[in-house]
Amino acid sequence: MSSMGKLNQHQARMAYLFITPTMLLFFAFTIIPVVMALYLSFTNYDVVSRMEFVKLDNYKKLLEDDLFWTTFKNVFFYSVIFVPLNIIISLLLAMLLNFKRFGVKLFRTLNYLPTLTSAVAASTVWIWLLHPEFGLVNNLLSYAGITGPAWLAQTETAMFSIIMVTLWQSVGSNMIIYIAGLQGVPDYLYESAKLDGATAFARFRYITWPQLRPTTFLVSTMAIIGALQLFDQAFVLTQGGPGNVTKTPVYLIYNQGFNQLKMGYASAQAFVLAVAILIFSFINMRINKSEEPIV
Amino acid sequence: MKKWITMIALVTVVATAAGCAKTTTSSNGNSTESSNASASNDGQTDNASSNSGDGKAVELTFWGDWAGDGQKQFQTMVDAFNKSQDKIHVKYVLQQDLITKFLTAATSGGAPDVLLWDRWRTPLYAPKNVLHPIDDFMAKDGLNKDDFYGEALKELSNSDKLYGLPLTVDARALFYNKKLLADAGVTQPPTTWDELEQAAIKTTKWNGSKLEVAGFSLADNGLFNMYLQQAGGSMLTDDGKKTNFNNEKGLSVLEFWDRMLNQDKVYKVGFEQGLGEGTDAFATGKVAMTYNGPWMLSTYKKYGKDLDFGVVPPPAGPNGDKGGVMGGFGLVIPEASKNQEAAWEFIKWWTANKDNALLWAKTSLNIPGYKPALDDPFFKEDPLWQPFLDTLEFAKTRPAHPGYSVMETEALIPNLQLYQQKKQNAEDTLKKAQQRGDQQLADNEDVK
Repeated sequence: MSSMGKLNQHQARMAYLFITPTMLLFFAFTIIPVVMALYLSFTNYDVVSRMEFVKLDNYKKLLEDDLFWTTFKNVFFYSVIFVPLNIIISLLLAMLLNFKRFGVKLFRTLNYLPTLTSAVAASTVWIWLLHPEFGLVNNLLSYAGITGPAWLAQTETAMFSIIMVTLWQSVGSNMIIYIAGLQGVPDYLYESAKLDGATAFARFRYITWPQLRPTTFLVSTMAIIGALQLFDQAFVLTQGGPGNVTKTPVYLIYNQGFNQLKMGYASAQAFVLAVAILIFSFINMRINKSEEPIV
Repeated sequence: MKKWITMIALVTVVATAAGCAKTTTSSNGNSTESSNASASNDGQTDNASSNSGDGKAVELTFWGDWAGDGQKQFQTMVDAFNKSQDKIHVKYVLQQDLITKFLTAATSGGAPDVLLWDRWRTPLYAPKNVLHPIDDFMAKDGLNKDDFYGEALKELSNSDKLYGLPLTVDARALFYNKKLLADAGVTQPPTTWDELEQAAIKTTKWNGSKLEVAGFSLADNGLFNMYLQQAGGSMLTDDGKKTNFNNEKGLSVLEFWDRMLNQDKVYKVGFEQGLGEGTDAFATGKVAMTYNGPWMLSTYKKYGKDLDFGVVPPPAGPNGDKGGVMGGFGLVIPEASKNQEAAWEFIKWWTANKDNALLWAKTSLNIPGYKPALDDPFFKEDPLWQPFLDTLEFAKTRPAHPGYSVMETEALIPNLQLYQQKKQNAEDTLKKAQQRGDQQLADNEDVK
């Protein structure tokens, strides 16, 4: 510590000064609400008239709440399909568009465009596209002689429709992240691999993929968090139906809290969801770590 | 959008923060405290028009979530009221997220003086003491409760206290496309389930596997309540504590639906999903008959000659039972309002005066809850209003249980959806809906 000169001390002080506003906001709008929500999850708070401490009642009730676990099953099913597909498609797109050729930027922009649309507005448009009789999707299918299903109304296809729409909307931004990652891979690695006679697939498997490990970690973590917190699209496209197959935990929390005024119970549900996200992010981290980079 | 966990808690923060500094909420309801001296600063421009004497007109804030045409209709009424006298000045404030805003305001100050109220919410909110009972006002002004639709008043009451007056009453009735029915050789609109089924079969048109015209819309599972009444049943037991549809009456509704959907094939699941006003399936002739409320009259009338339609009361069930579900809005006074007397004057002027209720009806094309207004030729001489008025004679409001809507949306409808898609049989559907529903009712019974 004694080695820290006066200049350094001054810089440190200034640094703290500069981050103070951000930290204050972070404290006021993130830390305090989270702590309060934790407290609320032990009460029967209803916004208006009551806030009594009920100990673990909310969590006990959670264990017996079939619907809550159904919603978890739904988002797990969703995540298992959505997250890998998201990574694969956005990586493929990124590799496809990672060239310096005329017009590539146009295609990058086009692929990124869906990300810029609002989830609610885009979902509304998709409702029309997926309409069983007059929608574009089923009209195209009918040219091939296939009678398309009622995508959003049938239990078999409702979740797949949501996966499709959310993929369409989220691969663009992940593609950009992957392009950035790909451009950070040093060229000499590929050159020397080529000299050693490595095939294109081998170059991908042993250079590109390991080098993109931090990128993949970022993309997969964000995808997992986003997937477990699925709400907008499920809310607009199917309202959780048919028969609860697309109801998600966040949908349920929103409903409990704001429509039924059970803020305490909703907070408990939110905390269980937060813990689940934490666990899955952690597992994701371990999986990513196990694949050590070659270089 | 992604931070829902914190969102839940954020509401609390807003609530407490607003409690500490009342002025922060004043951007929403800055006229609530205008009876105090502080109003003289910002109230000058607003008051100028109605202010002739001592400059102390009471400022009222009226919250609602009707935007667009609805907002204009409210503004028409508010302006008319403001012109009619100079003691009270009302301002309509549009709140998109009405209930959430009201809850935060109710606990932190800045509550409105008059609130547009979706009536079925009463049993959930009234026990929490956020609404002011109006029985004393009613008695003082000698208003006769028989002048209003009794069911609507019942829906605004909780443990023998009345919390507001009905602004609109509505019920679903059967809209039918005259041309489609005539083309199919149906001369009379249906009056029973059997006639409905036959008319639906005749008007349905398939082109291979593509449904071109659906004879009858089976899109809304939420209408189960109405069908059950037509089958002679009721949603809850007489004591109002348990579900009452897992019996042969509930079964007959499900069998009727199944016959229409899967045997007669007069409809296809998801047929109308996502079709908004511009592409409404009934307006565009893709559905021949559908249940809808009086609020659709103005929309359908816009199509003029392109849509020749009629309305009849809901067809009766196998044993001749009639059924309809009454809904609609009321006006209530929040307990936190500082101008409850003035708020009552406004509500009374609007909902308990024949001329004003009629002005409201003509402005908004809604049926007012005040019966004397319905004697006007505006209603009596229009064949499209009469079926709704007839339906309202026997229509019942939703049961007044704080957990009723939860039971319907979480226990009943998901199971009905699974049934419609043949994922479970009728007996299992009713049994599961009953088990889950009874549990929901019990869980939500205590709202204190």
